[in-house]
Amino acid sequence: MAALKSAKQLSDYRKKLKSTASSRRRTIAVCAGTGCKALGSFPLFDAFTAELKKNKLASRIDLVATGCHGFCERGPLVLFHPEGLLYQRVKQSDVAEIVVKTVKQKKVIGRLLYTDPNSGKQYRKEQEIPFYKHQKRLVLASNGQLDPTSIDDYIRGGGYSALAKAIEMGPEETIAEIKRSGLRGRGGAGFPTGNKWEICSRTESDKRYLVCNADEGDPGAFMDRSVIEGNPHSVIEGMIIGALAIGADEGYVYVRQEYPLAVERLEIALGQARRLGLLGKNILGSKKRFDVKINRGGGAFVCGEESALIASIHGERGVPRRRPPYPAVEGLFGKPTNINNVETWANIPIIIGKGSEWYSSIGTAGSKGTKIFSLVGKVNNTGLVEVPMGMTLGKIVFDIGGGIPRGKKFKAVQTGGPSGGCLPESKLDTPVDFDTLLEQGAMMGSGGMIVMDESTCMVDVARYFLRFLKSESCGNCTSCREGLVRLHELLSDICEGRANADSIPMIQELAETVKTTSLCALGKTAVNPVLSTLRYFREEYRAHIEEQRCPAGVCKALITYRIDAKLCNGCTLCAKNCPQDAISGQKKKLHVIDQDLCIKCGICKDVCNQDAVLVE
Amino acid sequence: MLAETVKTLVVKPTKCVGCRTCEVACTFAHSSAGWLGHSRIKVHAVAPERFVQITCMQCIKAACIKVCPTEALVRNPGTRAVELIEERCIGCGLCEVACPFGHMFFSAETRRPIKCDLCGGQPACAMFCPHGALEWR
Amino acid sequence: MEVTIRINDAEVKAQEGESLLDAARRAGFSIPSLCHHQALEPIGACRLCLVEVKASGKEELTTSCNFRVTAGIEVVTDSAQIRKQRAANLELLLARAPGSTRLRQLAAEYGVAAPRFQPRVDSQLPNCILCELCVRVCAELGHNALNTIGRGEHKRIGLPFNQPSDSCVGCGSCVSVCPTDCIFIKDTPTTRSIWGQSFPFVLCKNCGAPVITGVHRDFAIKEKGLPEDYYDTCESCKQAATSKRFAAVAW
Repeated sequence: MAALKSAKQLSDYRKKLKSTASSRRRTIAVCAGTGCKALGSFPLFDAFTAELKKNKLASRIDLVATGCHGFCERGPLVLFHPEGLLYQRVKQSDVAEIVVKTVKQKKVIGRLLYTDPNSGKQYRKEQEIPFYKHQKRLVLASNGQLDPTSIDDYIRGGGYSALAKAIEMGPEETIAEIKRSGLRGRGGAGFPTGNKWEICSRTESDKRYLVCNADEGDPGAFMDRSVIEGNPHSVIEGMIIGALAIGADEGYVYVRQEYPLAVERLEIALGQARRLGLLGKNILGSKKRFDVKINRGGGAFVCGEESALIASIHGERGVPRRRPPYPAVEGLFGKPTNINNVETWANIPIIIGKGSEWYSSIGTAGSKGTKIFSLVGKVNNTGLVEVPMGMTLGKIVFDIGGGIPRGKKFKAVQTGGPSGGCLPESKLDTPVDFDTLLEQGAMMGSGGMIVMDESTCMVDVARYFLRFLKSESCGNCTSCREGLVRLHELLSDICEGRANADSIPMIQELAETVKTTSLCALGKTAVNPVLSTLRYFREEYRAHIEEQRCPAGVCKALITYRIDAKLCNGCTLCAKNCPQDAISGQKKKLHVIDQDLCIKCGICKDVCNQDAVLVE
Repeated sequence: MLAETVKTLVVKPTKCVGCRTCEVACTFAHSSAGWLGHSRIKVHAVAPERFVQITCMQCIKAACIKVCPTEALVRNPGTRAVELIEERCIGCGLCEVACPFGHMFFSAETRRPIKCDLCGGQPACAMFCPHGALEWR
Repeated sequence: MEVTIRINDAEVKAQEGESLLDAARRAGFSIPSLCHHQALEPIGACRLCLVEVKASGKEELTTSCNFRVTAGIEVVTDSAQIRKQRAANLELLLARAPGSTRLRQLAAEYGVAAPRFQPRVDSQLPNCILCELCVRVCAELGHNALNTIGRGEHKRIGLPFNQPSDSCVGCGSCVSVCPTDCIFIKDTPTTRSIWGQSFPFVLCKNCGAPVITGVHRDFAIKEKGLPEDYYDTCESCKQAATSKRFAAVAW
């Protein structure tokens, strides 16, 4: 296919693709995101290929390996278009039956349908499942439909029409449109995207760069990964629109080392875009040029920070620099550089395509559009969700997330990763909005949302994030490098029963120092988990410090395992399984745990059929 | 800068009696008070009753300036002396080795060079020399 | 370009883009620092040179070493907040370098007698505070023998692969700039030991005193272009030789 040299050629090409598509009526979309891949969706896809061929259906049924569908808890996922039928937890051994019953006979296989664990109701259509029904999937809209390795799929669905429109609008109007949309950066800081573009475009320079930050370092976050794996062209199109508007001719996608599938899909997509004349010289006949290189990270969380990211692309250590000057003025190789997050770039074609007026009607006054969250932790429906800004945390956790599994009670939700905070039950009515979350002591962050139940110790959570950050810190500043180590020591003291009345005052004092005197956002926000847990879960800290007790039963030094005399039936299972031989007792008699030998591994509790092992 | 304000330290070895008052004055002027090892002017006996004072020649094409990696040695336009800017010195020791006259002394204690700066325009050695063997004119 | 700024309500002239710390010190204001050197790029590591700056309507507590001067900024160099946070960082540093007299004295000025934390001292470079002056000076001199290893809590200074370096010339500049004197150096009349290596000295052809390490001399001859015989005599003997030459002219 020759390069497209004008908007008309692009739309003609699209028309041609659409006309050849109508011969295929049904599509089977097998989720091939990293999550489902880990659950075996690649061999599953091969099984479908073989089975369709065997049944002589290969020419009539479109089989697509798509990007992440989002309902990761229930993978591998198989979606049937156009009816929207969803099968979940599909195994290779199900494939033959599916092809015969569902594909040929149009019958539904009940056991493969999603059943809501709370209501017991079974759902056939993906869109009716509460997990999907309450979402507003704009960025992830095509993830369950198109083949991420096919630019034709993307174009057929309307892809790159926004680019054609932006070329016609011209740079100034494009930037104005992004400003009007109210789009704010999705990487965590939430800076108004249009303003950043404007600053960069107005800085006098012979050269400008564009960067897509795909470092996604927050533990538990995989939104950006799924956008790149599932719809890489949406990001590329956004970058091209940005490049032409800002006046950049070179761009980099900085992808973290740990995302090989995303890199693979991106490389394929970039090659396709180049061949069609959408990247390189004379983009769609605009006489403008832009191309993209992929730069892989080296396994450092701090390289998600924009100035450390720039240093990394330079080949230097990922050590942040003081800002100002901001990258938009002086960035990569000293030139004005516009850095945006993956999800931000993916929103650009949507905004240009449908208009800023439509886009800004979604969301709240201060936060427009949608946000993708990775909903993980103690929640029934773990996965990727995309919701309009302004939806409450409670609706996300319960209506979409399906609430807490195994009948446990909600305790907290953590947003914003290591830079974010934990909000308690009383704050479930907080709408997800950049400013509102900040007011409550949390942070939108990049979109990680970790749900916690009564078996989570909030002090331990604060300690966990500090342990993560003290080793991911670049180590330049005394306040961050030493301060986080000392904060972690203090938290460990509390978790291990060594705390005293000075512990919390010292934590607060150190936290203020780290927050106010660290050079970069890693240090400045590192204290959010401990400060937010102190704010909302003070009682738990008090129990640890004053009573040497961990209410959640997590901190090993503060818990004891005891066998309840009333419930124990002397079956000896616990004694047989104890790795330390710490349990003694005769058959049919009460068993006793020797506290000196017990290592709190919890095996006795797991094996006991009488629930006689208590954690106190 | 007018010609008459430019002065020179004139050294006359034939008038030197080897009393070393200049060395003492120098150390006091630079708060090394009496520690003659730190004097920026040294009196050498070249023969019985013949002495030559050696101090910085304030070379026009100074080897020490050429060799300094951080431009810590600069020309003072008023006194024309080669001066050490302490805040820019990194203590590499090359200036000591580079000086062809052996004037530069690198102190092992402070790890910084010690050199004559003409006392900023009022050289103590000339002021205190009792025999006119050092003149500032 | 010269610009006007205000420091503690006094008008000060400074160069646009220069380090605020340098400008303030030049104007006579006293701001402590440990990781700053005028001849080296600032990295803002020690966090002691804190000041309060009001610029474009925004107020912030920031390090002054890596703050680039712009016209019209208003700076405060002393306040309760500055002293409190400086003391906090001094306490954290003192726990890294309990044996440094200079640091103990500076900390005492801010009311920090002993840190409330257990010492956290680098096993190979006790008292190192990671100011990276040694790394920066070695890079500035073109040797690049030293660098930081690792990041975060375990970040330390050392040689690549922890092996004696081909690039080290034994000049000792790292020792000269280290604020806590934690780099080991030992000079005998014939050799210098530093960074796990022995560097033989070039000895004065007249009296045998050490002049410079052989490797450093080779580097200097190549890079600085001075004649070779500038490096083969100690400064005392050069002076003595000079006095004899002058004597031949004077009498």
